[in-house]
Amino acid sequence: MRTLIVDDESLARAYLVEQLGGVAGIEVVGQAANGVEAIKMVEQLTPDLMLLDIQMPKLTGFDVLDLLGEKAPAVIFITAYDEYAVKAFEVHAVDYLLKPVEATRLAAAVEHARGRLQDKAAKPQPSAQTLAAAARPPGRKLERVVIRNEGQVQVLPIDTIDYIQAQDDYLSFVVGKVKHRKQQTMSELEAQLDASRFVRVHRSFLLNIDRLAKLELYSKDSWLAVLKDGMQIPVSRSGYARIKELIQ
Amino acid sequence: MHPILTQPWRLLQYVGAWTLFGVLLAAVLIVGNKLPIVWALEFSVPLAILLGFLALSCWYMTRVLPARETPWPRLISIWLGTGIVIIATWLYLSLLWAQLLLPEEEEALFIDLPIQISPLLVFAGAVALSIAIVSHYLVAAFERSRQAEKQALQSKVLAKEAELRSLRSQLDPHFLFNALNSVASLIGSDVTAARRMCYLMAGFFRQSVALGREESIPLAEEMRLVETFLAIEEVRFGDRLRKHFDVAEDTLKLTVPPLVLQPLVENAVHHGIAHLLEGGDVTVTARQINGLLELTVENPCDPDRPGSKGTGTGLHNVRARLETVYGHEARVDSTATPTRFRVSLLLPAIAAAPKEDGQNNANTNR
Repeated sequence: MRTLIVDDESLARAYLVEQLGGVAGIEVVGQAANGVEAIKMVEQLTPDLMLLDIQMPKLTGFDVLDLLGEKAPAVIFITAYDEYAVKAFEVHAVDYLLKPVEATRLAAAVEHARGRLQDKAAKPQPSAQTLAAAARPPGRKLERVVIRNEGQVQVLPIDTIDYIQAQDDYLSFVVGKVKHRKQQTMSELEAQLDASRFVRVHRSFLLNIDRLAKLELYSKDSWLAVLKDGMQIPVSRSGYARIKELIQ
Repeated sequence: MHPILTQPWRLLQYVGAWTLFGVLLAAVLIVGNKLPIVWALEFSVPLAILLGFLALSCWYMTRVLPARETPWPRLISIWLGTGIVIIATWLYLSLLWAQLLLPEEEEALFIDLPIQISPLLVFAGAVALSIAIVSHYLVAAFERSRQAEKQALQSKVLAKEAELRSLRSQLDPHFLFNALNSVASLIGSDVTAARRMCYLMAGFFRQSVALGREESIPLAEEMRLVETFLAIEEVRFGDRLRKHFDVAEDTLKLTVPPLVLQPLVENAVHHGIAHLLEGGDVTVTARQINGLLELTVENPCDPDRPGSKGTGTGLHNVRARLETVYGHEARVDSTATPTRFRVSLLLPAIAAAPKEDGQNNANTNR
């Protein structure tokens, strides 16, 4: 199996390379020191398996998986200590290893991943977003969204986003005049957002309530939300009720 | 309200004491002035109790005029004035009482009685009143010292709690597991470095346990702990972690509570440097300004780092500890810009008591 190692600490990478040397059928094709490198390497090298550290600068392991989407290879997560992430992995039956990684456990996890890759009927792994949400400490909401624009990775802090619009099979995150696209479903995103800041004002619109300037009646059962920068987005009847409930 | 009035048993004791004074006064009158026993008792016991209640008003005065903080001349003149007013009032009431008690037919016999007994009354009253005032001060002092003891105990408990908390945070699982991971890795590639890492970790834990038991330590010791901590993290982060110390020589002998700087440096690494692709400098400074010791820890940070709001516990602990130790004399300020974080501590500059320093096992040699 062609394997990529992703960890920001060079010692940790060296250790994994050494440990993988003892596992039959593994070929280490690359080592990435951060999430951006990892994404590039996955696309160039198309590995079968990725050993992915969670705590990394800029992009976490979850972000990497999120940005790779369907291109992601099989993953074994690695963490030094993260009780919530471990709980999430257990719940979703995802392979993970704890640092310092034991050789026998590594071999077992690799075996397991191999089995899953070969078994076409295997249960599909949960999405990166589902995992990331499950690994978040209780009470913590989504704080940022990672986006990829023509190869460039961008991190959008959640409060910079004006609104989010669903279009076909992707979402548009609108920041001022710029729209960032991302493959994701509206309901999945909505579940992760802080409901007191982002309101589902319409079937295909999530509005950052801070940006709302006023509401205008548009027709008998629909309204227009006018944002502080003059943008207008549609508001349905139930959306109107939700806004009312929030600002009262 | 006077505390004695709220406790019946104490009030009874108090009245008892004054009754005794009344009996004594009666005895003097019987022996000295040849007054009939019954009359003398009838006369002096109620008067003594009356003086006792007049004396209770001193309680309010002792509150307003704390013995230590009030200048002597003021204290004496005020008490003298108060004493004169109380004694004069009491004397006047005593003489009225004497008139009332005298059987009408004997009035002529005792026409000069007031003149006879007045000096005695003034003298006895003044003595009793003085004793009452001094007792009030003694009671107040006693209560104050009990209060102070309670407060000292309370602050000790708080300090112990802080110590426990800081020791617990010392055993940050991330730190421990990552360090162990580094050791596991080094064993395969560089045995000498692996050993050195073990020594550093042993040194770090030894130092933090030993320092945690102290109430205050010289800054030099805290700096040594910080250096050991950074040496361990340098193994992990490589050249992404750079350190910059600007510690004035004259601050090293000043005392600080143990483990106030190390948690801040740990924050700087884990919430700052660890989130930067290229890493950065952790800057630690110490200097003396106007009798204060200023310590600062500064680090660059990533504006997009996740959970940037959740870095407060280490800082919170340090703040709480400084407050228990120094009260309002210490200050903790933090400034956060999107790309930098800085904490500064201001504490009273107190020189460490000189002591032999031969027994330090801390191993920070490199």
